[in-house]
Amino acid sequence: MSIINSLMTFITYAIVAVAAQNVLFTRSLGVSRLVKLVDDGGAPIKKFAIMLSAIQLISAPLAFYSIKIASNFIYLDAIRPLILVLASTVAFFIVLGIIAIMSSKTQLKDLKDYISLLPMATFNCCIIGTLLLTTTSGYTLLQTLGFSLGSALGYVTAIILVEEGQRKIQNRNVPASFKGLPITLIYIGILALSIFGFTGHMPAI
Amino acid sequence: MNLEKARYYSKNMDKVMRTDRVFLNNPVMIAGIGLAPIIITATTLYKASIIGLAVILLLTPTRVLAAALSRYVNPRFKAILYSVCAAVLFIPVYFIEKAIFGVGLELVGLYLPLLVVEPIIIKRYERSQREPVAIAFKKGIRTTGGFVVALLIIAATREFLSSGELFGVAIMNMPLLPIASYACGGFIIAGILAASWRTARNIFKRYINVEAKQEL
Repeated sequence: MSIINSLMTFITYAIVAVAAQNVLFTRSLGVSRLVKLVDDGGAPIKKFAIMLSAIQLISAPLAFYSIKIASNFIYLDAIRPLILVLASTVAFFIVLGIIAIMSSKTQLKDLKDYISLLPMATFNCCIIGTLLLTTTSGYTLLQTLGFSLGSALGYVTAIILVEEGQRKIQNRNVPASFKGLPITLIYIGILALSIFGFTGHMPAI
Repeated sequence: MNLEKARYYSKNMDKVMRTDRVFLNNPVMIAGIGLAPIIITATTLYKASIIGLAVILLLTPTRVLAAALSRYVNPRFKAILYSVCAAVLFIPVYFIEKAIFGVGLELVGLYLPLLVVEPIIIKRYERSQREPVAIAFKKGIRTTGGFVVALLIIAATREFLSSGELFGVAIMNMPLLPIASYACGGFIIAGILAASWRTARNIFKRYINVEAKQEL
């Protein structure tokens, strides 16, 4: 029974993070990176999604335990970003190590792409923002893991939605001044409005 | 505009575009960098001043420190260098902000500590060539200026539209657009302001070209 409960908690937090508390549409986390990825056109979104999810899942328990150890420190709020950046850095090297091992055992050609995407997938607002949220909201480890995975998936969903929207946006009827960043922001705003209409409130920051 | 200035701008428009981070190449309105804290926290001028001060205190020192240390770090790990520098420098920034704004810091929530990985602070790591310290200082100051200008414009617009106030002082009897204080409204208003900014920039560039030709 407890296993089912744990699984349900994990799934619930993951779903909440994908939809009702989507990192991009409700908290605007990682919007600058998303605009860049979408503007680049042929950005390898699938590879970026894999790296982002891996980093998020590895850094979440690291951050959880690190903050737990430092929880009695009076000035935790001042050093919290440093702890989280260091947790992400450890996750960065773990993923880099996995890629290095894979490259020695397999002949995958696009491993270089994964390595070049790794810094972008590690040091961004989606990862650190989610770690900040889970560590300041008093989530349990299971809730942290579920929310972290959901955040990563939610961010990737947002990238796919915005990239898909770009095809419709880039037509002649859009005034010249609105092309590019402005129309992308308005489009994201409309999607965010639909989620706001669905949830009826703004999540706490 | 006088002849010399018009000619200079017309001939060196690309160079001016590269160096002018406030109007012609604003990091927020043109490049779309630093949008996360702007969309969520720039709903009032008070909240914007919390974020603005943090960026003033964090951006240039991070860029200068990372530029000074980058010669000792493998270029592959520059992202780590920039993020760790920002996180270390955030410690004194946090205490300064706490001393000035006190519990007001809670209004910006996670967006203050989040600045340590915000592209406006660490984006330079993406470029492969090493940045000299003096240039890092100059560009840091310019980028800070551009960000703060955009932040204040967006915050003032949103505060006025959402509550009819500016810096908490009532100007209108009723709010014109309450949704301006939400994330969705923030995206839409930032998009409209970015479009207006680009229009103004294009008008300025056209005006410079016409002036330079007329004078010739």
